[in-house]
Amino acid sequence: MINRTTTVALAAAVAAAALMSSGANAQTANADKERCYGISMAGKNDCAATGNNSCAGQSKADYDAKAWKYVAKGSCAKMEVTLKDGKKRMGTLAPM
Amino acid sequence: MPAQPDGSGLADLQHRFAHAVLQAPLAVPDGIRHDVRPTRERRFGVYRNNVKASLAAALAARFPVVERLVGDEFFTAMALVFIERHPPRSPVLAEYGTAFANFLEGFDPAADLPYLPDIARLEWSRHVAFHSADASAADIGRLAELPPEALGSVRLGLHPAMAVIASPWPIVSVWTTNTHDATPEAPAADWTGETALVTRPHLDVLVQRLPPGADLLVAELAQGVALSAAAEAASRTHDSFDLATALATLFGAGAITTLSQGSSS
Amino acid sequence: MTADRLLRAGAGLKPEHQRHILEARPDVGWFEVHAENYMGAGGPPHHFLERVRALYPLSVHGVGLSIGSANGMAPGHLGRLKSVVDRYQPFIVSEHLAWSTHEGTFLNDLLPLPYTEATLSLVARHVDEAQTVLGRTILIENPSTYLRFDGEEMPETDFLRALARRSGCGLLLDVNNVVVSAANHGFDPRAYLECFPHEHVGEIHLAGHAVLESDGDALYVDTHDRTISAEVWSLFRDVIARRGVRPTLIEWDADVPAWPDLEAEVQRAQSILQTAGGLDARAA
Repeated sequence: MINRTTTVALAAAVAAAALMSSGANAQTANADKERCYGISMAGKNDCAATGNNSCAGQSKADYDAKAWKYVAKGSCAKMEVTLKDGKKRMGTLAPM
Repeated sequence: MPAQPDGSGLADLQHRFAHAVLQAPLAVPDGIRHDVRPTRERRFGVYRNNVKASLAAALAARFPVVERLVGDEFFTAMALVFIERHPPRSPVLAEYGTAFANFLEGFDPAADLPYLPDIARLEWSRHVAFHSADASAADIGRLAELPPEALGSVRLGLHPAMAVIASPWPIVSVWTTNTHDATPEAPAADWTGETALVTRPHLDVLVQRLPPGADLLVAELAQGVALSAAAEAASRTHDSFDLATALATLFGAGAITTLSQGSSS
Repeated sequence: MTADRLLRAGAGLKPEHQRHILEARPDVGWFEVHAENYMGAGGPPHHFLERVRALYPLSVHGVGLSIGSANGMAPGHLGRLKSVVDRYQPFIVSEHLAWSTHEGTFLNDLLPLPYTEATLSLVARHVDEAQTVLGRTILIENPSTYLRFDGEEMPETDFLRALARRSGCGLLLDVNNVVVSAANHGFDPRAYLECFPHEHVGEIHLAGHAVLESDGDALYVDTHDRTISAEVWSLFRDVIARRGVRPTLIEWDADVPAWPDLEAEVQRAQSILQTAGGLDARAA
């Protein structure tokens, strides 16, 4: 059985939540509005070859031989990461 | 070389063909005509390339922030390793990529970015939400209208598109800046973990932060636990849990679809 | 829906264009979708397709059934295709003379088959199974191919004719695929079309292709990423003039252009159909 204190606290929380929600669309301010309803998230099944890319699928990377030759050049290279051990380092992806 | 692909001959041929398409070293299977130019290596390479490049492109479309974090060259090379180890098991390409986040966990060349797998989980959840079943989100007003004595036993049904990703890394911040900003913002020095809430109340997929402990509330609600008991469980586990903020966030994002009364299962 | 609307030119429906199509309702005959892109439970794909379907006839083009797999078609896939077909009631359902699934692994391409009596029996059996489950006739498309096999027993046109006769299926004639395969295997596309069993054709596809040159050799690749070549237009004009009007689709699946560029290709096909068939452009 739920006691009276809990019931009151619950009702107060729900009332407060309803009040917060009435403040326009503050909740979705940080939300992603997928441009044009997710064109990039469409299914991707097609019946044609993948363009003019005669070597795009011909990776010579031999990962298991630890000969990983690709270096990350994405936005992570600018990001400082705090690792679980508390140490900070830049998020590079240079070969290990 | 088999002369005539009879029933079993065709199965053998397709077996050799399939393996040669997926393997990293280029090896043309037996049974392909070779008395013609261009060479059979180039001819077979069109199929090989098309299978791998199309799957890599599908993964890049599905994990755009992971791609931005590592760059397109690294991403493509990484995707090719993934494709070789985890080729699709369904002809529906929308279902491809469920294993990508776990694959990243064990992918040593990306180990310097420990948050990459959780970013992939967030992006996969967005993709799943996009294709998931439709349902109408409930307005919080319906909850507020209930008499106080009915609130304790109310059960909140979760939207089928909803997902929660709790991370020790600030995945919502990383995802947001890499999705919306031309130049990603450098993170604050005191990066702390964030829990992402993914919803799709109608056509748009929404991503936002869940306040501390709200993921526990959601986990309890998903089990069919009544609101009061779910809130107590979240409070017990998380000191700073605030039910009002959690409910405002969940309802505001369209994470709740139904309110029901009834005994616990 | 009038009969002449179905004899018109249509366009592949791309997510990039669907909002414009719903707002502007362009004057094209019909749209075609890839079945596998509509096998999710809900969300924007179904939301938009239902609305497009309410305005236009629809054709469903499967790309994943793997009708040529020796070890059986993609498991469970026929049921999913049936769900899409039952939901959207297309005027055409089509698939490919190809395979893509092996031991449960999906190789995302339309892989080639050796044209033998044994392959023919297998494919005819699978087409029959598909038509039985779907409760309707399907069209099978001639593929673009990049290699041929040792020990083949018949040309593609004979294979397709026999398949249509044996299974009762119709055919989808992809004129671009004819041009691509002809260039890759050194045969004359007009001779191929002369032998093609046009009496079974229920739909025509047109698309763009790439030419990959290397070491003095060229391979044509079926890319669907550009305008249709002059050779394909010329062959299409001949086929329509000599064999009659068929519903004709413009496929443009990669580097998708703005809608007006795609519509221009549709209108070009439309004018060829009208010239040959004497259809009134404003009839629909």
